[in-house]
Amino acid sequence: MKYEKFFELAKAQGIENTELFIRKSYSLSVSLFHGEVDNYSSDNGFSVIARGLINGKFGAASCDVWDEEKANYLIDAIVKNAKVIENNDPQFIFEGSPKYKKINTFNKDLAKISLDVKLAKLHELEEKIKAYDPRIHEIEGVFYDEISEDVILMNSKGLKLSQKSNYYAYAGAAVAKLDGQVKTNMDLLLDNNFDKVNIDELAKKIAQGAVEQLSGEPCESGNYQAVLSPNVVSSLLRAYIASADAEEVQKNSSLFKDKLGQKIASSKVTVEDRPLDKTIFAKSFDDEGVATYNKDIIKNGTLETYLYNLTTGAKDGVGSTANAVRYGSKIGTAPTFLVFKPGKHTQEELFKTVNNGVYITEVSGLHAGLNPQSGNFSLQSSGFLIKDGKKDRPLDIITISGNLLKLFQDITMVGNDVKVFLSATSCPSVIIKKIAVSGK
Amino acid sequence: MISKNLAILVLNEALSTGADYAEIFFEDSHSQGITVENGKVETSTSSSMCGVGLRLLLKNQCVYGYTNDLSKKGLLALASSLKKSFNGTQLITVTDLEVIKAPNRNPIIRSYDDVSREEIIALVKEGIDEINSLKDPRIVRTIGSFGANHRFVAVFNSKGKWFKRASEFGRLAYMVVCADEKGFETGFEGPGCQQDISYFGNVVNVRKTARKAAETALKMLTAKECPSGKMPVVIGNGWGGVLFHESCGHPLEASAISKGLSCFAGKEGEMIASKLVSAVDDSTMPQAWGSIDIDDEGNLGEKRVLIQNGKLVNFMIDDFNGRRMNREGNGACRRQNYRYCPTSRMSNTYICNGKSTPEEIIAATKLGLYAVGFNGGSVDPTTGEFNFGCSEAYIIRDGKIAEPVKGATLIGKGEEILKNIDMVANDLDVGQGMCGAASGSIRTNVGQPTLRIKEITVGGRGGELK
Repeated sequence: MKYEKFFELAKAQGIENTELFIRKSYSLSVSLFHGEVDNYSSDNGFSVIARGLINGKFGAASCDVWDEEKANYLIDAIVKNAKVIENNDPQFIFEGSPKYKKINTFNKDLAKISLDVKLAKLHELEEKIKAYDPRIHEIEGVFYDEISEDVILMNSKGLKLSQKSNYYAYAGAAVAKLDGQVKTNMDLLLDNNFDKVNIDELAKKIAQGAVEQLSGEPCESGNYQAVLSPNVVSSLLRAYIASADAEEVQKNSSLFKDKLGQKIASSKVTVEDRPLDKTIFAKSFDDEGVATYNKDIIKNGTLETYLYNLTTGAKDGVGSTANAVRYGSKIGTAPTFLVFKPGKHTQEELFKTVNNGVYITEVSGLHAGLNPQSGNFSLQSSGFLIKDGKKDRPLDIITISGNLLKLFQDITMVGNDVKVFLSATSCPSVIIKKIAVSGK
Repeated sequence: MISKNLAILVLNEALSTGADYAEIFFEDSHSQGITVENGKVETSTSSSMCGVGLRLLLKNQCVYGYTNDLSKKGLLALASSLKKSFNGTQLITVTDLEVIKAPNRNPIIRSYDDVSREEIIALVKEGIDEINSLKDPRIVRTIGSFGANHRFVAVFNSKGKWFKRASEFGRLAYMVVCADEKGFETGFEGPGCQQDISYFGNVVNVRKTARKAAETALKMLTAKECPSGKMPVVIGNGWGGVLFHESCGHPLEASAISKGLSCFAGKEGEMIASKLVSAVDDSTMPQAWGSIDIDDEGNLGEKRVLIQNGKLVNFMIDDFNGRRMNREGNGACRRQNYRYCPTSRMSNTYICNGKSTPEEIIAATKLGLYAVGFNGGSVDPTTGEFNFGCSEAYIIRDGKIAEPVKGATLIGKGEEILKNIDMVANDLDVGQGMCGAASGSIRTNVGQPTLRIKEITVGGRGGELK
């Protein structure tokens, strides 16, 4: 059935304003264990989210099969769901932005490379991790994933937008062992240009990350000056910027409420949303169809804007910032490609500046140990001591605790060692004036 | 639904290049979600999910794919595409499919399909009214929600077996955000079941549940920062079981054990915990959140004793990972939906009752932490290193529960923590959660009686415990 038929069927039921958000994907995943393919999957995914505006209220429903029976299911559910909505927020079926920037997030050459070539690299990755160091005891697995996705947004007002994207990822997880102590490390490489595959570098990062954690023990509990790795900054930054969601602000549960135009972070902190940069995360329109643009969220410590979709933008009288994202049938907001602006210093210079302190390389359990509303966190961490200006011995079984607002106020220096993460975030290392570490 | 004859055709197509096992997983599910924010219905959404996952095994290799095209052509195309991973000749031919007889401990009495949105809204609002009756200006946001899910699955496999099963789940949840000049705190309660809507009212006290979410948030608003360092910790019953789920449950799944990637691999028959600890993963608890009568590859649900008086005796096993262990699956093979390849997972996992009382445990603790509310956690099954975050905790002073503290996270290694349990009470209770792992997000119960860990690392910002 053609998608356009849905709008006719809805109209026949008296629903004038409707919208379809369609996602078609193809994904391939292969993993190796001990040199053999242990998992292979190849999937064609499809999902459609339909919304209809009835008396100013949105009804929403979704499905993953497309035929007339399902279209009628969606329409019936839209009517029943819209009927019970009591919230009076302004709602929109969007007519379209005047102009959309052209972006290219699809590399057609990726599909042309044979599976044999892709697999050969995967075998190479497994072998090179193993060969890196005799303390590499086991390889949990090496993984190749390839995803290509088509997103289509169309509505009864004649708007029809689509974007095609693809990327691949090579990943591996190594287990290092020494004297009964076991440490693991996982890392990945992400791109859509196959020429950029560098197995040597990835294997080294995976293996080294596991081996260098061996022989660690906790440090004394206390407050330390700290260098946070790009990885840690990325995890904490995502949680911090969630407070810029205008819906959270309007509903009184954001750390950034009443802080617009105010200094909320150290002047070393500039955070931008850059959907139009040439990355695999780029988007020319958001999930409501609004044309995206690059913007500062925090500039030299000052909060420049909240992130809006059409509804929250209308409530504040400012319009959408093109940050709408769909969580199932619900429209929220999120940055598209979040960039923490790097500084000029190398990571070694950061260590030298701290002189004696801790270097935190990983935090885990963010869903349990970080409260996005209060900003308080206490997280299982890994890292190293910094002694006499240099990275020293590894730390085992520690936590770092703090509050996100305070943490970003306490940044005293920003590195130039930028890394890009799967969470669509680009971050350097930073120095934090003081962080509570729990160890011995 | 696909017919038996079509299933046989697809299985044989899949097996034609030498796979030693093939399995079709058909799913037709739908769900309804409603959220009420600050007293008004904000969202009401419906979703439907229908597809087929096909899994082929050959020795230690697994090939998986899914499709939404349920026509004969679509299913045969999926089988033809996946079978290309193997290049042998057909070893097994399926000629007939016999139905697997499974008990029905989780029957649908009154389907959520027959419950109107208005009835659900009235239920959610009952709790919201209770929160509003507190008239506390520090409550700045209340979110009540209800999610109902109907799941129909059918499995056909090359052992010549098939079954179909429908199940339904309901979950009521309240989240309350409180604020004062110092900042925000939240409280959450989310009871769930594999029963009809009358459970909420008959078994769960809706008003009490909602009030508890608000009271926790308000209490934590006045709490001081949790101290840090190593200390004795008493862990409350019910949701406290997330400790065992993370520190021990995940490392006892065959997915980690079979490849030697678990801190407990090769330790069957050894003492891995204090003698006071016995632990169980029980898929057979009637109408419980994590129960299954039959798993996603056709093995019947079981009550698995994992640890008996400290000794490791069993694991959660699926047939595929069981191959590396020379063991058969024991009904623990699960997946979120047809888009996921299934693997060994937990169901209702808990530490069994001991002989102490909760009061005795508190009284026997001079200075320590009493953790009663939890946000969940995570674990690396290979190293055994785990963490879990506390949403509600108190300091114990001289054998009495004293001031509330916030922001506590407990971390450690599973092997060490289990050996450090030195008191176990007799007040076993379970709590409902969603567990995320390789085969997606699935419903699991966690549980335990009140127990004490004589020393564990606590992360917090409050400095040394004095």
